Amino acid sequence: MKYEVFTNSLKKPLKMSKKAFYISLVGLVFVFGFTTIQTADNCDKKALTTSCKKKLDPYKYDSQKFTKINFTKKAQQLEVEVPIFIGEKYRLVFNTSGLPKGIKINVYTKDKEAKKREPIFSNKDAKAEDKELVFDVPRARKMFVDYDVPADSTNAKLTGCMIFMVGYK
Amino acid sequence: MLLKKNSLALKGVLFAAASIVLVACGGDTHTEETITPPQDSVVVAEVETEEVTYSLPSPLQIASIFKKSGLKYKAGVTSELKDPAKYTSNLSKALNLGVYSADLSYAVLNKQNQEAMNYMKLSRQLADNLGMGTVFDQGNLSKRFEKNLNNEDSLAYIIAELQMVTDMYLDENDQQQITSIVFSGAWVESMYIGSKVYEKGKDKSLNSKLAEQMTILSSIIKALQAEEKKDPAITGLIADLVVIKDIYDGLPSVKGNPDAADDMEKELTLTDDEVAQLTTKIEALRVKFING
Repeated sequence: MKYEVFTNSLKKPLKMSKKAFYISLVGLVFVFGFTTIQTADNCDKKALTTSCKKKLDPYKYDSQKFTKINFTKKAQQLEVEVPIFIGEKYRLVFNTSGLPKGIKINVYTKDKEAKKREPIFSNKDAKAEDKELVFDVPRARKMFVDYDVPADSTNAKLTGCMIFMVGYK
Repeated sequence: MLLKKNSLALKGVLFAAASIVLVACGGDTHTEETITPPQDSVVVAEVETEEVTYSLPSPLQIASIFKKSGLKYKAGVTSELKDPAKYTSNLSKALNLGVYSADLSYAVLNKQNQEAMNYMKLSRQLADNLGMGTVFDQGNLSKRFEKNLNNEDSLAYIIAELQMVTDMYLDENDQQQITSIVFSGAWVESMYIGSKVYEKGKDKSLNSKLAEQMTILSSIIKALQAEEKKDPAITGLIADLVVIKDIYDGLPSVKGNPDAADDMEKELTLTDDEVAQLTTKIEALRVKFING
C-alpha cells in the first residue's frame, strides 16, 4: 500500500512506503507530545477546587483564587489582596499540588509596599509533602497573600498554579 | 529508485523532527559561564515584583454581614423581575447577574422563598445568556434549590456552592473579568438595599457596616482595572465607581479618621447626611445598571 504526500512547492505526489510513513508519524507524535508535556502545567482546577472545599468545612465557601506561576531565572513575588470584614471568622485553604516545585507562602495584614509587616501565616515550617495547608484567620481588616517564587536556573520553563480558597462563618 | 525516494522522505521527516527536539530542548545556545563572586561581596538576589491581583468576596457574604448587623427585610426594595433578554451587552448581563445574586441572597437570608425562587430563575436565564448556564446544572444545584426552599441554611449552602462552580467555570475559561463585573453589580445592589433599609430605621450597627463596605470599593476598582483590557466596556464602569469612591473619601467623617480602615477596634460611623449623599449616587448607578 502506498501513501501520497503532497508538498506545497512541487504539488507532486511523493511515494512513501507504509513502514516509512508510520516511523515518521511516530517520530512527529513523539516530538509534539514531548514539547506539550514540557510546557503544560499540572493545574487541574476542578480537582484542586474539590480538594480545597473538603478542607474548608465547616466554613462556607466565599471565593477562590488561582494564580498561574511561571518559574523564571529571576525570583518573583506575587501578591493577592483579600478584603475581609470585622466580626467574621475566616479560613484559608492553600493547595500547592499544582506546582512542580515549592514556593514560600506568607499572609500579611499589610501590603508589600508597607515598611514594616509581620506574617500572620507562613508555610516555612510545613513539610514538603504537605500539599494542603489550612489557616484560620485572626481578626483583621485585610489580608495580603504573598507567594515568593524562587528563581529557576535550569531553563526548564516550569509552570504550575497555586490555589487558595476563602471560607467564612 | 523508489527505495531511494522513500529513504530521502524518511530522512527529511526525521531531520525535521530532530530539529524541533533540539529547538525545544535547547533554548539559549550560549555556554554558561560560572562566575565565582569574591568572598567579601554581598550577593543581592534579584526579585521581580508582579502586579497585585485581587480576590473579591461573594454577594452572599455581603448579604450575610448586613443581616447580622440587623438588616431587616423590606418588601419591594429588590430589583423588579424583568425579562433578562433586554440586556444585550456582556457588561449589562454580568452586572445584572450580580444584582440578581444580591437580591437572591437577601431573599434567602430573610426566608422569602418565592422571591428567592424568582431570582434564582432570572439568574439562570442571565447565566444562559452569558453562555455559562451549565453551572446551574452541576451537582443538580437548580433542583436542590427547589427542593430545599423551606430550609434557609441549605439554600445558603447551595448558593455558596453555585458561587464556587461559577468561579471555577470563569477561571477555567479565562473570563475572570466577569467575576469582577458580577461582584460590582452585587455590591451596588447590596449597598442600595442596606442604605434604603437604613433610611427607615437609622440603625447604628447598619451604618457602620455600610461604612465598612465602602472600604472594599477600592479593591473592586483595582480588580476591574486589572481586567480592563479584556473588555473595553469595563472602563465606563470603573469611572462610575470612582465617582462614588471620591465622594466617600471626601466625607468629613472619613477624612477625620484616616486610620479607621486599619483600626481593628474602631468602627467608622457616618452622619445621616453622609449616608444620604452616598445613597443618592449608589441609587443612580443602580438605575443605570438595571436599565442596561
